[in-house]
Amino acid sequence: MRANTPSSLAPTGMSPAGRGLRYSRDTLRRLNVGAVLLAAASSAAAYTVNLNPAAPQEIYLQVGVGAFTKNYNVGGQPGINTTINTVSTTLATGVVGNGTAQAMTTNSTAAQSYWDGFTFCTVPAQLYIGGFFRTTGATTAAAVVTATVPVALTDATGDSIPFSQINWTSSGISDPPTEPFPAGTFVSGGVQTVGSMASNTWNESCWTFSYLNTQVAAAGTYTGAVLYTMTAP
Amino acid sequence: MITLSRMASAFFLILALTIIRPPGAHAKTITIDDSGTQALEPSVTMRWKTAAPSRSAGSNLMIGTTTIRVRINVMPWLRHAGRIYLALPAQKPGPIRLSWITQGRFLPGQLVSGNRVLVYAGPITTPFMEDTLTFQFSVSGTLMGRAVPVTYHFEMDEG
Repeated sequence: MRANTPSSLAPTGMSPAGRGLRYSRDTLRRLNVGAVLLAAASSAAAYTVNLNPAAPQEIYLQVGVGAFTKNYNVGGQPGINTTINTVSTTLATGVVGNGTAQAMTTNSTAAQSYWDGFTFCTVPAQLYIGGFFRTTGATTAAAVVTATVPVALTDATGDSIPFSQINWTSSGISDPPTEPFPAGTFVSGGVQTVGSMASNTWNESCWTFSYLNTQVAAAGTYTGAVLYTMTAP
Repeated sequence: MITLSRMASAFFLILALTIIRPPGAHAKTITIDDSGTQALEPSVTMRWKTAAPSRSAGSNLMIGTTTIRVRINVMPWLRHAGRIYLALPAQKPGPIRLSWITQGRFLPGQLVSGNRVLVYAGPITTPFMEDTLTFQFSVSGTLMGRAVPVTYHFEMDEG
């Protein structure tokens, strides 16, 4: 069979009459199919889409009460709660400065973990602290939670009690001994690390505060605010 | 001479058949031209599947959805039966899960990178096959430090 180059072919249905050069329908089909296969082979390509990680970092820190639309394990989303919880104790006159630590209680009502609703802390004896940070990539750096601590608690007349008079233990119902936010004592007038969170993990502890009661303070109501800050790498 | 002529004819017939279909030939897979395909979004925005992680760091999936108007050129197989697959080659950044729903021309399905799934089996009756597919990609966030291109293609099994 004699081969004809495709360029010598008029497009199908456009063959001018009386041109003399005619191809059988079968020949045309074969040549056209050959041309199509060539075209397909030259333009076949894979399709590419770009996966773009949006808002790759998310952080959530809860000290005391927090905000979640519902528990995490049923699709809950974290929110913002501006409540400032307190931890306090009231000393009877006879025990002031006697060196017997006094348990402190909180006005926080956060007993359940937002992770699954499990009753994790005992209120009012314990203060919930927990959260997470999300980040993409294979980073292993942890987010750090710090406490910015004033020098002292003060009353209306200017008397003071060093913040170092307050410490805390850490636990959680059904938790192992090791806590992400371990026990500690406030460092007066400093910024101290109180815990850390590995990337993409949920972390929580329950703190039980005590007033060490090793110094005699004048009668009064002493207050001070500690600011907790979470810093993600 | 007659016998020799017949033997020669038989030889050439066998040779011709051998050229057309070699003994033990396997199905041939050809990537289908999808140059007519269009994505409705320029990139797939990947977000955490769950806003919060699990306690054990076991839930780090990021998911992203995009709609793609698929148009593949199947003219070479016109008036033949064909089996069309959606293939997602193994590629960086690592294991990628892809699921999709369709408007009916192709089959819905899901796969993990490094595999392919049948999306059509039957006669090829039109030069082009079109459908709108909604893709959902799932990738571990630990692999998504930056934007990554992901490639897939349609392929036809011949034979």
